[in-house]
Amino acid sequence: MRVEWKELQEKSFYQATARERAIGLVDEGTFREFLGPRDKMVSPHLIVLGEAVEFDDGITVGVGKIGAHPVFVVSQEGKFVGGALGEVNGAKMAYTFKLAMDCYEALKEKYGSVPEDRKPIVIVSYDSGGVRLHESNAGLVAHSECMEMFWKMQNKVPNISITASSIGAYGAQGFVCMSGDVVLANDYGRIGLTGPEVIQQEVGKDEFDASDRALIWRTMGARAKYIMGDVDFLLPDTIGAFREQVMQIAHMPMAEIAKYRHLGTPDLVEENLSVVKLAGEKGFNDSKDYWKYMGMKDVEDIPEMPQEKFLKIAKRRQRGI
Amino acid sequence: MAAKPKILLGKADEAIDLIFDEGTFVENKIANTYLEAELAPPVFAGEALLDGKLCTVLGNFSKRPNPRFRVVFNGVMGMEECYKFSQAIYATIEADEGKPLEEKRPVILLIDTPGNSPGKVEEIVGMTKATASYQFALEDARHAGHPVIGMIIGRAISGAFLCHGLLSDRIISLPKDYGTIVHVMPTTSIAVITKIPLERLNELVKTNPVFASGAEFVFKLGTLNEIIDTPEDIKPTLLRNIDEIRELKKAGKWDQLGIWHRGALGAERGGREVRQTAINKMDKEFKELLPSLLE
Repeated sequence: MRVEWKELQEKSFYQATARERAIGLVDEGTFREFLGPRDKMVSPHLIVLGEAVEFDDGITVGVGKIGAHPVFVVSQEGKFVGGALGEVNGAKMAYTFKLAMDCYEALKEKYGSVPEDRKPIVIVSYDSGGVRLHESNAGLVAHSECMEMFWKMQNKVPNISITASSIGAYGAQGFVCMSGDVVLANDYGRIGLTGPEVIQQEVGKDEFDASDRALIWRTMGARAKYIMGDVDFLLPDTIGAFREQVMQIAHMPMAEIAKYRHLGTPDLVEENLSVVKLAGEKGFNDSKDYWKYMGMKDVEDIPEMPQEKFLKIAKRRQRGI
Repeated sequence: MAAKPKILLGKADEAIDLIFDEGTFVENKIANTYLEAELAPPVFAGEALLDGKLCTVLGNFSKRPNPRFRVVFNGVMGMEECYKFSQAIYATIEADEGKPLEEKRPVILLIDTPGNSPGKVEEIVGMTKATASYQFALEDARHAGHPVIGMIIGRAISGAFLCHGLLSDRIISLPKDYGTIVHVMPTTSIAVITKIPLERLNELVKTNPVFASGAEFVFKLGTLNEIIDTPEDIKPTLLRNIDEIRELKKAGKWDQLGIWHRGALGAERGGREVRQTAINKMDKEFKELLPSLLE
């Protein structure tokens, strides 16, 4: 059943499928999918292993418009093999960024320089645990292909990361997500490199108890990342709210958008290293230690309070050196 | 009787002695920049001469712990480690700024790391940002004209390989006989997680290297540019690659370097063919749409 675009705006981002998110984030009726389910480009490796496949290999990629901006969207489907990246969906993700750069170059050729109101934009809706182990070697290198394209997109194509779906942005997808210019989340968003189960398995339950849901949320969850300054905008859980924020970013000049970047310059290395040094010095062992250090009271209530209240009381890391 | 293969895994100090001109390695110094010695003791960042030519050298010392971060052990990449490497790379770029391509010093990544540090504080502060920062710095160096070469002497595993090595202009590996481990996860672990019997996986890797472990398998996927025979081959192979990379950069042939070029190699070698098919189809669809995107 086809859901109307207007209804999508009201829909929970968290509950939406990858395709619904992609369609709803851009202007009504403008989304065109690349290598959609009709092409039936499935993972040959899952077939060999006797596993179930999906005709879109668990990812929706394509281009739509917001005003005059071509908007390239990558939307991961966590319900299929945890949204993890293999050869086909990895190629679809990385090559979408390449096409965004091609579009940038084509605009430059046509207009002399890319007009701010026409600059291409990339949005990635993360819902993935990283590398798909069934085709691990191919999935791994696809992440590096994304990183090379992200490097090229800097200061040219705004790169918006969204973590607001069930899996979050985990494993190698965690650092790809943080390499975007601006990071958006709802309260369900998560960003991490090593997942709770893996930490417990590698180091032990005294380092991380993977069954402790509250610990997971205050370590990798969107509110913790908002306080740390890794999530730039914490939003209500509707596709419309994310679309609204994306439109606001689209209207900003590239130079302004680049100021949100979390990494990629010598100054940002020093800025981030100063937090690492602080954590080493103070021996932070829980996000609550950091929140108290930031001068927040009632840290126990932070995960449960309404988002509006949280946004009022959150004391965030000051960006800059 | 054949001599026992010389294993360099966990022995970066021996690798440095073997590869670089005797006694020339200086730790924590890149040109006029001195790196903090106390920062990230588990890694080394410095400069050394390779056949008389100055290089930046980065790698892991498996036996040095980090006194501040307890899960940084056995050569894993932690947060301080990534940022120290980033500082070394930026110092390298600064040192040769404005020089012609042939004078941009090479960056040699000695690769022997089993993973990213799997700790709670790493997740709180952001291991994600640390590894990505270093990857972006390496890309800066590559595009500034420095030849960046990944040399696998031990473990090149999963996220640590993504962090330290995979974005290089070229990647070279010692073969499996010399103890190198190149994979995301051993096949035994993949069997546990995917619930596919190990015997079946071992049978399948013979024809499909996509989840196999080892340099010879990932070579077919294009992950590596070349596999050499012995540790004695490292030095001449690095020297040849430095020259070749410089020539390609001078000629502007960027599509023959780096991670995207190795994607093309994967298709050529018959290991990642479906990737190429997907890309070709997307390219066609995009070209049809492009006029409407420029309106």
